Amino acid sequence: MSMSPVRSLLTEMRGRLGMYFVLSGVVLLLATAVRAAEKPMPLEMGFDLHVRPFLKQYCVRCHNADKMKSGVRVDRLQAALEDPQLRLWENLRKQIGEAAMPPEDTTQPTIAQRKQAVEWIDRALQEARLRPVPKNGSVRRLTVAQYRNTLRELLLLDEDLTEVLPPDAISRDGFANNKETLQLSPLLLEAYLDIADKALQRCIVDPKSKPPIQNFRMDLGAGINAHPCPDSLILGADSLLLNNADFEVTQPKLAKPFDFNPFVMRTKYRFIEGYRGNDTVRGWRDFDSIYHAVYACMRGSHGYPKGRAYETVPQGLLLRPAIPSAEIFGVDSTYGPRANFKIAVRELPDHGRFRVTVTAARYNDGLLLDPGTAPQTGDGANVLVCRDNNMPLTINLERAGIYQVDVHTSQKNKPTELTLSLGDRQFTNALKQPAFLAVRLPAGPLDVNARCTGGVSLDRVVFTPLAESHETARQFAAFEKRSPLLGVYMGFRRDCGSTLAPVGAAQSVSSDNLARYVFEGSLRNFPNPDVEKDNVNYLAGIREIGVRSEYTDGRDRPRLRIRSVEFEGPYYESWPPPSHRNIFLDADPKDDPIAHGRKIVRAFAARAYRRPITQEEEDMLTTAFKNALARGDSFQESVREALQVVLASPQFLFLIENSRTPEAEPLDDYELASKLSYFLWNGPPDERTMKLAEAGSLRKSLDAEVDRMIDHPKFARFTAEFASQWLALDKFQVLEPDRKRFPKLTRHARAHLRQEPVRFLQHLMQKNLPARTLIESDFVMANEVTADYYERVGKTESGLEFVPIEHGRSDLGGLLSQAAILAGLSDGREANPVKRGAWLARKIIDEPPDDPPPNVPTLKEDTRMLSLRQRLERHRSQPGCAQCHAKIDPWGVPFEQYDAGGRFKVKPPDARSTLPDKTEVVGVADLKRYLANDRLDQVAFSVLRHLTTYAIGRSLTYREREELKKERTKWKAKGYRMKDAIRIVVHSPIFLEK
Amino acid sequence: MNTSFRIDRRAFLKGLGGVSLALPILDAMGADVTDKIPRRFCAIYTANGMSLPQAGHKIDEWSWFPRAENKGEFVFGKSTEPLAPFRKQLSFLGGLYHPSGPKSDPHVCSDMWLTGAPLHNPKPGTYNSVGLDQVVALHTKQFCRQPSLVLSIDAGTGFLSRTGTISYSLEGRPIPAENNPRRIFDRLFRGDRASLKAERDKLKQRIKLVDAVAQNARALHRRLGKSDRERMDQYLTSLDEVEARLIASERWIDVPLKKQDYSHLNLNATNEGEPAEFYRNMFDLIALAFDADITRSVAFMLNREDGMGISDTFPLKLGLSRTHHNLSHATDKNGQMEFAKYDLFLSKQLAHFFDRLTRYKDRDGSVLDNTIVLFGSGASTTHNSRNLPTLIAGGSAMGLQHGTYWRNGETRMSNVYLSILRSLGIEKDSFADSTGTLSKSIFRRV
Repeated sequence: MSMSPVRSLLTEMRGRLGMYFVLSGVVLLLATAVRAAEKPMPLEMGFDLHVRPFLKQYCVRCHNADKMKSGVRVDRLQAALEDPQLRLWENLRKQIGEAAMPPEDTTQPTIAQRKQAVEWIDRALQEARLRPVPKNGSVRRLTVAQYRNTLRELLLLDEDLTEVLPPDAISRDGFANNKETLQLSPLLLEAYLDIADKALQRCIVDPKSKPPIQNFRMDLGAGINAHPCPDSLILGADSLLLNNADFEVTQPKLAKPFDFNPFVMRTKYRFIEGYRGNDTVRGWRDFDSIYHAVYACMRGSHGYPKGRAYETVPQGLLLRPAIPSAEIFGVDSTYGPRANFKIAVRELPDHGRFRVTVTAARYNDGLLLDPGTAPQTGDGANVLVCRDNNMPLTINLERAGIYQVDVHTSQKNKPTELTLSLGDRQFTNALKQPAFLAVRLPAGPLDVNARCTGGVSLDRVVFTPLAESHETARQFAAFEKRSPLLGVYMGFRRDCGSTLAPVGAAQSVSSDNLARYVFEGSLRNFPNPDVEKDNVNYLAGIREIGVRSEYTDGRDRPRLRIRSVEFEGPYYESWPPPSHRNIFLDADPKDDPIAHGRKIVRAFAARAYRRPITQEEEDMLTTAFKNALARGDSFQESVREALQVVLASPQFLFLIENSRTPEAEPLDDYELASKLSYFLWNGPPDERTMKLAEAGSLRKSLDAEVDRMIDHPKFARFTAEFASQWLALDKFQVLEPDRKRFPKLTRHARAHLRQEPVRFLQHLMQKNLPARTLIESDFVMANEVTADYYERVGKTESGLEFVPIEHGRSDLGGLLSQAAILAGLSDGREANPVKRGAWLARKIIDEPPDDPPPNVPTLKEDTRMLSLRQRLERHRSQPGCAQCHAKIDPWGVPFEQYDAGGRFKVKPPDARSTLPDKTEVVGVADLKRYLANDRLDQVAFSVLRHLTTYAIGRSLTYREREELKKERTKWKAKGYRMKDAIRIVVHSPIFLEK
Repeated sequence: MNTSFRIDRRAFLKGLGGVSLALPILDAMGADVTDKIPRRFCAIYTANGMSLPQAGHKIDEWSWFPRAENKGEFVFGKSTEPLAPFRKQLSFLGGLYHPSGPKSDPHVCSDMWLTGAPLHNPKPGTYNSVGLDQVVALHTKQFCRQPSLVLSIDAGTGFLSRTGTISYSLEGRPIPAENNPRRIFDRLFRGDRASLKAERDKLKQRIKLVDAVAQNARALHRRLGKSDRERMDQYLTSLDEVEARLIASERWIDVPLKKQDYSHLNLNATNEGEPAEFYRNMFDLIALAFDADITRSVAFMLNREDGMGISDTFPLKLGLSRTHHNLSHATDKNGQMEFAKYDLFLSKQLAHFFDRLTRYKDRDGSVLDNTIVLFGSGASTTHNSRNLPTLIAGGSAMGLQHGTYWRNGETRMSNVYLSILRSLGIEKDSFADSTGTLSKSIFRRV
């Protein structure tokens, strides 16, 4: 130590400590004196003695108000370790203790100085951790999603009115439900008032009125319409219409258990702007037919890889899976998928629920044979060769079974399309080889007809029964087990295509017999063309109802047969609807309107506030009701006004945990009910939980309630919210992948891949699997779309449903190799190891890197010519970057085995990496192994920490982090299982106390 | 939060029955309204792009974007020459585009112009997102009578993908436009009794509601004990603000309109008559509305995409040989020249508008100095959604520095929009797909 620092240190001490220094002079003496007192030196004194001078001499030069190197500033630190500074202190302790700071090229402190500083910091940190933090309850605004769910469940209203609300901010921990980031503004409050107004208008009806209900039905089938519309219908550019005779539109009489006004659709129209092909034409023209109000349309992308995208047969409309189009101008057709059946409708109700019923069946289909399939030899037992070209003809099959049908023509190389009818079944495909079809045929007589286009004549048709073991027979057996997936869409026609959104999930159509499939939604939740009433353009404001056989991965699938499509809306099961009865209860207001009004308001407010209301609240709300009544408003109107107050109240908009003292108090049962349900359902508690709260037995039955909530379908809301926030899946949502490099990362594939981490987490939670599964799992959660993305993982026949599939591969399993995560952490072109490394450090092992300092310097040299490894090395060696990147990059390097689309590279590069703790790993599989074994405690803590933060809706205090470490050991004792993690969180004082 | 102030004011309001308000309250309530100079925004859209003749035709002087320079300054082309007197109050901006533009059907470029939304890949259940004019309206509505004025050549919304309005609400729904000068005048300047009463009743109802909500919230606030009060305070303050805005709106009903000279208006003008007369009157109405501070946000669609609506025939009425949409597709020399002549016609209308805005005065300068006027199209020439023709005028009191033809490679339109918002004092972090502001362009205070 040089002399001058000592001198300045002593001056400082004298100045600060005054009386302690009667002995004066030497530091050693003082230390002895303190030890002699056998009482640790007060923290303040130690700070002044060892720490402040240390900071001043070695740190402040770079870390002060003006310079703030790496964003760190130490000149304001005091002996009292304030909560917000604890992390900084920890970091200081690490830097000083590991001699990482001050930088090598500057004056270094002595070992003793370091030791003293470190010891003091350790002691001070220890004290700070043990310091009780006042607990003053909590007032937390509902997130937009929570508000939406709450409003829907409270009012039984499906219509989403929350579109006007701005999205919630994301907290430092990555969560949207953090009470600090959930701000409130006048604009937001105005929006709440507007939404309350609108929502109540939608819910409350006049029970004596007769609601108008619109319904129509379209029947489909070749030649089904005996009186087709004589006009040729026009749908503008690229219109593909069904033959007018192949569909029929009617408005059948509806049977309803209440009086209603059937809405008769308008058929007379007058338009000045119309179309001839793609050209707009002008001139008034009158139309008068229901077929100008409702028509069948196939406007979509042309062609199909195998067979025809659609065909009408007498039994209905046959659809092959709708191959998605990117629908991006200049890249792909904007007209929609291939096989894109839609019903165009001029009028639909403005709002309310609707129901689309599709009568459909799986077509008893044959498998069109792939190119390269060899024809059968044409001899052998039971082979039947028709050489008779006088089709149709009837053949007689000896036995039932799977047959291969080969069709030989006289002109071999002439292009032709063959339509083959077998009984009442029909198969059409371009005929490029004799091997045509595999099909199951019954024994006995069979009508056969075969027609070729292009003047090609038939030579012979050969029916060969296939042994079960035959490759084609096995293909067919798998094929005939599959079911088409029926999807219904709602939206509107655009000039260049459609804007459609799915109505609920697709339904599997597994029977060859017709059955009714019901799809329901709320009209306003779907894209709406908002056309004006006096529109004069023929194609303006046309709504569309899409009906599709859903596409997964292009595998052969029996066709979907659509027999009819029915629409009904607004759809009511009863009148007045439940949304109305739910508010007005059943009593008759005439007896005593005031008392009845009071009862309604009380019941509603209690549900809205998620607890019984106080007398004061009841009086206030009743006053609002009574005032309106006194002004002459109707009973209903007056109730509505009081309810509007409820829906704009803080009791409704906030989750309130009311605290009386700064000490920790247990949540009351109602607060607990809400805390649980907003945690596990992202919505309000249901009747059962509320009953338990009312009986005061919720705490006792906590475990059972948690289990019930986890098993409930509403738990999917938890996994969706938590997974996307914890794992930052929003990044994948907004990814714009390079189409040339990642042709498989289509919009369709992305929508499903986005679900993978969510379904994976849900599976782990519901099955209570070990947390190490997050890192390493021998299965993936996949449906046919995502399995295809990973190059056909295992065998799944699950359609669009996510199921666990064993993958048996080293590049899959766990979260770390899921495309939604890895691609989300790229820019859609190049993978980014730094982003991936930071994500892993932050989310998986909870070692969040520090924020980049302000004004990050750019790398000094041009590094474009260097390899990634070299570039990262440069990065790490540059002062200013090195500190943080040494803790980030090594975690990211192993992921270089995966491309920017999140798939294992065909030629994976060198992915050796030396982790911050000097462990060497080679590639992701090795990294996973290391995390799942050596670092499992840390991974588990990260899970628990993120889960708790989400559950309580705020960041943890330092002390709570320490408490949580103890909870982690409890969890470890139970084997780190995922559902147990939720139980641990829910039972922890952090959750249960306010 | 100043509770005693609230209670006093409420008592005071009740005493007066809300019929007429005494001045001290007006001052307290409306300090923002009276002290600050209005900051306004006007978006003017023309469809089908502008004439940018092919070099081979050798009629560069007819290009809408300036193609020549003189002594370091751009030279107005023949089709923009009428704007020359306003050189120091306007700038041309080149290289602008919406990244979602080239991906979407080109006919929807007017739908996207003010919103920047990815129309090729909308959020489920939506079509578009909020437009710039409506964001401005959201933040200025409390200062004036009308949140915004949405005007177009054709009334209503048209229909999606060939819309007749450029204005989209917070939910991304098209806002119906007005196109009849007389009706616009009657509504804005001659508020009739019935509609005034209905409006007042609605506001009163809302004020009553807010009042009841506030009472209830304060009771809760008292009961909250030691609980975290920060959020409740924020709630109550926000509620105060909402109420203040409502009262301010109600107040507008009684505040007499600024005395203005309407003698130059020809309210018989319609879109079926002389095009110049129609546009002149529409622009005069906007200028009057700005001057009287009736609104601070205006969107005006001069004509529609893809030959829709009546304005497609305007070039024919002006003696040109083809309709507007057809001219925009022209590649021959004569067609491109004629298209430019239609640009010239529009420039004349715009010059008239700028002249009006210059004549009206705010306290610190002309209305134009306090208004950012955005003029442009969603396509440079038909179906080309890059390098959108853009002209920005006015706003020099908000830090806009004019007289240049600015371009810097390709620039996101949304960054221009964010810069406009910031210039207007609306401190948004982002707009649509913006990545930042353009601090080194014509905007000096963003």
